[in-house]
Amino acid sequence: MFTPRARTAGAIAALTVITAACGAAPGTQGTTAEGGVDARTATSAADFGGFDALVEAAKKEGRLHVIALPPDWANYGEIIKTFESTYGITIESEDPDASSADEINAVKTRKGQDRAPDVLDLGQSFALSGAAEGLFAPYKVQAFDKIPEGQKEPTGLWVNDYGGYISIGCDANKINPCPTSFADLLRPGYKGKVALNGNPTKAGAAFAGVYAAAIAEGGSFDDIQPGIDFFKKLKDVGNFNPVETTPATIEKGETPISIDWDYINAAYAPQLAPKGLDWQVNVPTDGKYFQMYAQAINKDAPHPAAARLWMEFLYSPEGQNLYLKGFARPVLMPVMQEDGTIDETAAAALPEVEGEPAFPTTEQVDAAKEKLVSGWDAAISG
Amino acid sequence: MAAVTGLERPLSPGPARPGRSRAWRAVVFALAGLYFLVPLGASLWYTIHTPTTGVSFAPYAELLTAEGFISSLALSLALALATIALVLLLTLPAMLAVRLFAPGLRPLMEVLCTLPLVVPPITFVAGLSTSLRVGADVLAPTPFWATLIAIQDPGFPVVLVLAYVVLVLPFVYRSLDAGLRTMDVRTLVEAGRNLGASWPQVLLRVVVPNLRSALASASFLTLALVFGEYTVSRLLGYQPFAVWIVTVSGSRGQLSVAVSILSLLLVWLLLLAVSTAFGREKK
Amino acid sequence: MRRPAGWLGALPLLVFYAFVFGIPLAALLAGAFTSRGEPTLANLRQSLEGGNLTAMIGSVQVSAVVALSGAVLGTFLAYAVVTSRSAALRGAVLTASGVLANFGGVPLAFFWVATLGNSGVVSGLLGLPSGSLYSFWGLVFVYLYFSVPLMVLVMAPALDGLRPQWREAAANSGATAWHYWRHVGLPVLTPALLGGVVLLFGAAFAAYATAAAMGAGTVVPLVTLKIANALTSDVLVGQENVALALSLDMIVIAGLVMAVYLPLQRRSTRWLR
Repeated sequence: MFTPRARTAGAIAALTVITAACGAAPGTQGTTAEGGVDARTATSAADFGGFDALVEAAKKEGRLHVIALPPDWANYGEIIKTFESTYGITIESEDPDASSADEINAVKTRKGQDRAPDVLDLGQSFALSGAAEGLFAPYKVQAFDKIPEGQKEPTGLWVNDYGGYISIGCDANKINPCPTSFADLLRPGYKGKVALNGNPTKAGAAFAGVYAAAIAEGGSFDDIQPGIDFFKKLKDVGNFNPVETTPATIEKGETPISIDWDYINAAYAPQLAPKGLDWQVNVPTDGKYFQMYAQAINKDAPHPAAARLWMEFLYSPEGQNLYLKGFARPVLMPVMQEDGTIDETAAAALPEVEGEPAFPTTEQVDAAKEKLVSGWDAAISG
Repeated sequence: MAAVTGLERPLSPGPARPGRSRAWRAVVFALAGLYFLVPLGASLWYTIHTPTTGVSFAPYAELLTAEGFISSLALSLALALATIALVLLLTLPAMLAVRLFAPGLRPLMEVLCTLPLVVPPITFVAGLSTSLRVGADVLAPTPFWATLIAIQDPGFPVVLVLAYVVLVLPFVYRSLDAGLRTMDVRTLVEAGRNLGASWPQVLLRVVVPNLRSALASASFLTLALVFGEYTVSRLLGYQPFAVWIVTVSGSRGQLSVAVSILSLLLVWLLLLAVSTAFGREKK
Repeated sequence: MRRPAGWLGALPLLVFYAFVFGIPLAALLAGAFTSRGEPTLANLRQSLEGGNLTAMIGSVQVSAVVALSGAVLGTFLAYAVVTSRSAALRGAVLTASGVLANFGGVPLAFFWVATLGNSGVVSGLLGLPSGSLYSFWGLVFVYLYFSVPLMVLVMAPALDGLRPQWREAAANSGATAWHYWRHVGLPVLTPALLGGVVLLFGAAFAAYATAAAMGAGTVVPLVTLKIANALTSDVLVGQENVALALSLDMIVIAGLVMAVYLPLQRRSTRWLR
């Protein structure tokens, strides 16, 4: 159909394009630091030859690629900036709204690419499954031994970093009195005002909200059904608002009561005060549910030394205090309170909670999630 | 999502109908007008009025400087142009060839080009993301690995262009098919060839000018689809225009609604431009 | 004319199609029947029970209601347009339909939230109870925004094809308007009508962006939202293969619907030649 000349020109063009984008996956190449250390297999700062050697190796890499870290989530904005200015390493923060599944997906799809994420901040179940699938690299931060058992994977494949309680946030200018328990939420004055942070079958915080409600309503870690029933009741009396809470919806007055992690709710308060909203945070007295997130290093991280330095930074007193400043409860908090490295003012600003948290086992959580996913739609839409 | 633009058959007002009562028509139009125009008005009001600060056009003023607006808009525009080019380059020669040389292939073409309609975008992207993930593993030792990675480059994700072409294929096919049907392709092409024109010349100077309306319709549909496409882009992890609107809506509600209004206006203006430029052509 | 040229011209498209459409589809089929690397029907079973079944039924219900109501309303609007004497009005409405039928997705959701949402501009005026938009009927109401224009675009040419001579002939034979419609008008229109209903069903069934942006997923179970959830969830791990099984279910349903549409569409175009 085309002249021979056109045909050959086209073929050459096509071949050029194709060959330009060709090539097999790069084999494993370790970044060698001084002394010929392969950062990819380093399992602690000692493997680098000391903390300073780690810093050197990380600075040589110069970049860190993170994903799913919203700036106003547990103060990640300030954490990223502080890390960048302390070590001169540029952080590329991608897709802050990504979910844990998106993070795992990014690791799998981008294996070997330069834009694969170096470090991950994951929900507990995802940390466990990712470790089982061999996606992470074991690494023990310098403070590893101080972290309580059960809040870390024994070889350091994942380590809990911060956590919070499910709380009820409330715009005191619009709502009076603000609810302090799940039972309060059923009060008639709250028609159409009680919202979750998303769909419980999809969003981790919303699932935790239902779990906490279950505890409040006489259920337990093994029985999430009372939680589902609670929200059904909430919907039947007309108090439930299916809109997903965001700063925009709170500002608009669409979701004046929001069930969410306490560090999320607490971070809204200073954000919304200049707009004339008085956002108060209460951990419900009848349903306390505490959950932690976990950090992990991508086994095929494109910047392995920087990734390990990032971990060290997060688990240093400075990093943990920055989490605290974001109203999250850092994993080393009890240790830091004892040896006095804690930021007292930040600790005092945390929403009040009485008593110690109880932790469900992984099996209990997984079973509860299954139960929720299969029963939520029928309950809430019927 | 839609199948037609209303451009394919320019309608002229038919012969005078027997008098129908004006009342019921007025009611229908009034109700339709209410249903379709009130949300636009309410959204407009929402963007310019807040309870605390009264009326202000701030969301529109800060539009251009909003973070990610220009980049996502530019990305969508680039993707749209690439998609239009690719889909026309693939489809037009194929349809011409089938029509002229291999009419037996016609049913196959029709089935293939309508099949994507049966696969909702969400299912397509589910399969696509699985393929990408598995492909990264399977192709790792082959030279095609880098190709697979290159098409996913966030600077210009070719993989999105490929996905969009599949999504828009049924509509482009129908548009071009309608256009080709109303133009006597065989005679015109034969005449052109007999006069000594080469194939490219026939294509460019005989076929394309006669298909202007169908090509315009196809291009418009593609542009509208790419700009509004959310599902595939979001689930593959990119941020073109529609995805950016949602991302920004969490923090800046008024801005995202303002952008939505503007995007509707843009689509409207495009359709008007296309229909005035080509609608004058009589079939 | 040379035979091979036919294949040659179509080759790029066919190759493209095989790769970009065929491979994901194959991956979908393979994944739907695989779990942890072994062939199994468990995914399919899971996709048809519990919350997934609720979502599938929910999607079919929403789509069916939207299709039927959109078809009726759209036909009335199309008829009003077609019988109007003002060419400007016809042009305006048809252009508007062309725009709105292609305009769905995210901005549509935002418009309606701004209008009838909990703190929407109009909901205060009408005194609507909170959360009315985020319900089955709220979603249907929103989906009509692109369904009615789509029906108008489908029905306007069909209604135009009703030659006035038939009406006159019927009147001359003593038929009333009712008789005309029942014995002439509707039978002629039926292929287009059915085709339109099927098209509307398909569009509403496949819709994802609008429902996602509206956040209606918490109260209106939809299978498209379920698939997206399974792929990008923060709650359940390892649900990708169930998502693929759900996708397969969706394709089967859409396929059945489309199998009805294509022959109808061909019939209706033949009528109008």
